Amino acid sequence: MAATLCAKLLPKQGWLPLTQSVRHGSKAVTRHRKPMHILRQKLMAVTEYIPPKRVAPRGAYPPQTKKVQEESGLALLLKREVQRVFQDCKMIAVAQNNASNSEDMMLLKYRLYKHGIAVKFFPNQVIRSFLADSIYSNMAPLFIGPTVLLVSKEPKAKEMLATLKHSPQMVLLGACVENTLLSAQGVASYSKLPSVTVVQGELVSGLTMLTSHTASMLQRHPAHLSALLQQYVKQQSPDSSADEAPKAEEAT
Amino acid sequence: MAAPSKSAVILKAVKRIAVEFCPFEPNVRSTREFLVLVGSEKARATNMNCEVTTTVKHNKSEPVVDITYLDGERLVMKGAKLTSSEMMSVFQSRCIAKDPQAKAGAKK
Repeated sequence: MAATLCAKLLPKQGWLPLTQSVRHGSKAVTRHRKPMHILRQKLMAVTEYIPPKRVAPRGAYPPQTKKVQEESGLALLLKREVQRVFQDCKMIAVAQNNASNSEDMMLLKYRLYKHGIAVKFFPNQVIRSFLADSIYSNMAPLFIGPTVLLVSKEPKAKEMLATLKHSPQMVLLGACVENTLLSAQGVASYSKLPSVTVVQGELVSGLTMLTSHTASMLQRHPAHLSALLQQYVKQQSPDSSADEAPKAEEAT
Repeated sequence: MAAPSKSAVILKAVKRIAVEFCPFEPNVRSTREFLVLVGSEKARATNMNCEVTTTVKHNKSEPVVDITYLDGERLVMKGAKLTSSEMMSVFQSRCIAKDPQAKAGAKK
């Protein structure tokens, strides 16, 4: 381009001029970064964005409007499942597993299933949001880290403890048995309790001990009974006569 | 924040680790996370003789991590006010100090 314009300037053929005036710059859209025109530079400098000044730095105060995020569909589904579990099962134990293998897990599940205990996994957030609404809110601090729920319809603490002894990774944190929160020691002592029928039998026997004793005494030979009653009267009378004697002495 | 900077937890110089905490207290989170890191399969695979025992108590006591090394030194960490990453870094620095040659060889 320059050569065609400067054809008259070249005195001889084949000479390049010392100075070449560039009449054509690059186009608007270039592959390299085109230097800005000075006027454009000035405009950009004048119209720079100045953010509004904050009174307090970000994060100094909590936000005025609290964002309450809606729970996703999966979370709601799991929440309903958790609710069903809590309604159906009498015993719900919480254990922490520090990295059991899948085969350890499988063995444990098999052993527990023989006693009717199911092993359930739920995300901690779902459980926490469920517990916050329900009456079991004091269980919430148990659910930190990798936790497993061991649920069963019948409170079989002894078998559960025996099975958990086999796997050293599972750490029993606490349990909710018949709507009563128990710690690990509480579960151990609960497992040592005798069954309800045994305890009821003991109570009944203790209450009826006196009456049964009286009944057995009455069923004995009447001579024996009369001898006992006479002895009893004698015991009563020396006591009453002993009481009267000191009183008479005091009067006189 | 629970995972340490070096992903492997090497227990070669450790004899036993005893962790006690009371799960109903609010300050046990870091101790439990530390327990998860130390009790993981990888960590236990580095030293099969090291026992990791956990005691769950209910007497409102502080969470305590008691580590006994092979040369008899004990490191006791009270995790009530510590984060799990702090506990992890202290533990790992001690382990590396105890057994630098093995660690350097393993890293290379």
